[in-house]
Amino acid sequence: MERERLEFDVVFVGAGPAGLAGAIRLKQLAAERGREIEVCVIDKAPALGAHSLSGAVVDPRALAELLPDYRERGCPIEEEGLRDAVFYLTAAKALRLPWVPPFLHNEGAFVGSLSKLCAWLGAIAEEAGVNVFPGFAGVEALFDDAGGRVLGVRTGDKGVDKQGRRKGNFEPGVDLLAKVTVFAEGPRGSLLREAAKRLGLFDGRMPQVFETAVKEVIELPEASPFLTAPEAVIHTFGFPLGLHTKGGGFLYRMAERRVALGLVVGLDYADPMLEPYREFLRFKRHPLVAGLIAGGRVLQQGAKTLPVGGWYSMPRLCADGALVIGDSACTLNARRLKGVHTAMKSGMLAAETIAEALAAGDTGASALEGYRRRLEESWLGEELRQARNFSQALSRPPASRVVHLGAQMLSRGRGLVDPMPLHEDCSTLRPGVFREPAPVADLDGTLYLDKLTGVYLSGTRHEEDQPCHLHIPHPELCTTRCWQEYRSPCTRFCPGQVYEIETAEGGRPRLKLNPSNCLHCKTCEIKDPLRNILWNCPEGGGGPNWTIL
Amino acid sequence: MNIVVLVKQVPDTESLVQIAADGVSIRKDDVKWIMNPYDELAVEEALRIREAKGGGVTVVSCGGPKAQETLRTALAMGADKAVHIQDPAAEGADALGTARILAAALKAMPFDLILCGQRGVDEDNVQVGPAVAERLGIPHLSFVIKVELLDGRVRGHRVVEGGTVVVEAPLPALLTTQRGLNDPRYASLPGIMKAKKKPLEVKSLADLGVDPATVGAAGRKVVVRALKLPPARQAVRMIGGETPEAVAAELVRVLHEEAKLI
Repeated sequence: MERERLEFDVVFVGAGPAGLAGAIRLKQLAAERGREIEVCVIDKAPALGAHSLSGAVVDPRALAELLPDYRERGCPIEEEGLRDAVFYLTAAKALRLPWVPPFLHNEGAFVGSLSKLCAWLGAIAEEAGVNVFPGFAGVEALFDDAGGRVLGVRTGDKGVDKQGRRKGNFEPGVDLLAKVTVFAEGPRGSLLREAAKRLGLFDGRMPQVFETAVKEVIELPEASPFLTAPEAVIHTFGFPLGLHTKGGGFLYRMAERRVALGLVVGLDYADPMLEPYREFLRFKRHPLVAGLIAGGRVLQQGAKTLPVGGWYSMPRLCADGALVIGDSACTLNARRLKGVHTAMKSGMLAAETIAEALAAGDTGASALEGYRRRLEESWLGEELRQARNFSQALSRPPASRVVHLGAQMLSRGRGLVDPMPLHEDCSTLRPGVFREPAPVADLDGTLYLDKLTGVYLSGTRHEEDQPCHLHIPHPELCTTRCWQEYRSPCTRFCPGQVYEIETAEGGRPRLKLNPSNCLHCKTCEIKDPLRNILWNCPEGGGGPNWTIL
Repeated sequence: MNIVVLVKQVPDTESLVQIAADGVSIRKDDVKWIMNPYDELAVEEALRIREAKGGGVTVVSCGGPKAQETLRTALAMGADKAVHIQDPAAEGADALGTARILAAALKAMPFDLILCGQRGVDEDNVQVGPAVAERLGIPHLSFVIKVELLDGRVRGHRVVEGGTVVVEAPLPALLTTQRGLNDPRYASLPGIMKAKKKPLEVKSLADLGVDPATVGAAGRKVVVRALKLPPARQAVRMIGGETPEAVAAELVRVLHEEAKLI
């Protein structure tokens, strides 16, 4: 099929904080140098910000560098002048830590909604002349004949039915050609997954590791004690995950009587019966949390993975005609629990490198290598180096964890072992151990929701008549080995109830997929112990419709 | 053939609708805005007619600054030009006020055929299309699921209880579109690029010669006294049982003893 081709100087895949900050920075540099740089940003989300989810306590450092007048320009700030509290939770009690570690201090930061922030940044990018196209998924990186140079990206066809046949409204994808293609897909990008194999971007790096966050925005009643509490930012650890599974909870006060609440679960957990969504409900039922959100009503829910591997799991960042930024490049700082400012900064540094390369007329790997150097020499590099062994230490048993973290604090991140190894999340489940899951109190459909009500409140919608975007190469394993060894953990780790094991005729178990429930978090591809799930982009414009997460 | 399509921007039906503090409107932030799905059918049909018979497609919308997104979407689908009636005095218009404004805009442009959705999914009044036709003094065919253009006439197929009615009218005429008419196309990426350069004219009530007192919140004949959300639906209950007989017995018991329906 002959596809339409559109040429740009730079194409960003993904309109998150990294891609949008990069695009805006490029336009600024173009204006400064009196040059035209044609920039395009595509995103699979139906609208700007609709697939962006974060806590989020935002460090404004990168934002202030990019847009010094960000306040005047109406940056959506929910709450500032933040004070922090950290609690250790037991099943019934909450013990407030007398001391908050310096890397968790948030005085200069603000609480924001990443959905809102990206919608706002997107509008600024459009004003600056960037072509921003929400609703278009990148499905394939385009290479030159030799296969070593990235030429651009192909967007997905629309109007294809379940069997792959063209429907009446078939609309072929187009080839977006660019001198530089920037992968800014967020965690575990499906495009980067394939391109990286070809370009060897992950070779010789430690594996990328992730955590899954389930998040809600809850509207509180006027009398809620949290609205007037001195601390607008609360972090918890301990219950419900215990000390052997990394992760923790958060509550951030927002404007308009709202609170952002979430639980983050490290995907290196060992118990195949663990269900992040169930842990999230147990977290909400903890007396401390339940007291703070009492009388509230969930407005939106969502889930997303966070790449926490950091420095040592960053892929090679540059190839001929391509760069990797943001969560795709593991720029998140797990130690500070922040990824927005680091993602933005990486995009801005990429933009500076690209502008230079375009001016010099060379966008090969060596010309783009300046991006890595800039990153290493910037405050971003410094932050990430200090956190380089943090996630690894958290994966250790509690006693040695404390020792490692302490040593890392005293040695600017080096610690006792440097580098500490990371292990792929799909390799950590313990087969054959099936404890009964902890009970969860009744759900009321208003403040305590089952998964499907949560999916409803995420606004998730996909065209029903389209090919399944989840590829299971060996379906027979689902009901044999995966069931025997792990009791089909996909039915638990997916927060959207996409995976179900049902009994088919003759009493045989069978995997049933509900792909239209998918929240696009990609936990399945990351955690599946048999690596039997591949997540591909569904038709562009499908998925969650987050506006305040 | 000059075809005009009337479009409206509405909250996405999947958005969580919340009632605003005033109790008579909905909260407009946090909501995703889309083209009224019935209007999408109208845009698609207009494009198909243009492709078959030639001519031009103009899309017209009355709404705040954001409504321009919906006009751009229609342009990206393939419409040729857009007219945006944007005036603070037009805000809060009821269906007849909106029709008055749209009719005034239409009087200033050539048209052979006007298409619009059978209703807006936001307020569900099902009035604007017919009222525009009335103000223009032209016939209207509502709820069409098939359109045929004959020489100087239009034939519309309408669904009614248990069958289809075929009606005809001389042109110019107004048609309101019903689900089943067509499968609207996607706005393509090149289409979106092209749409940025297509003409989009912004007009005020003064431009149209409409007296602000007769439209907008001031001119409402219907006043909203209160908005209420529908009662929360009860959770579905699955009736289980070992055998089909047991499930049936349980169903009968529930219908008889609990629901008291039989």
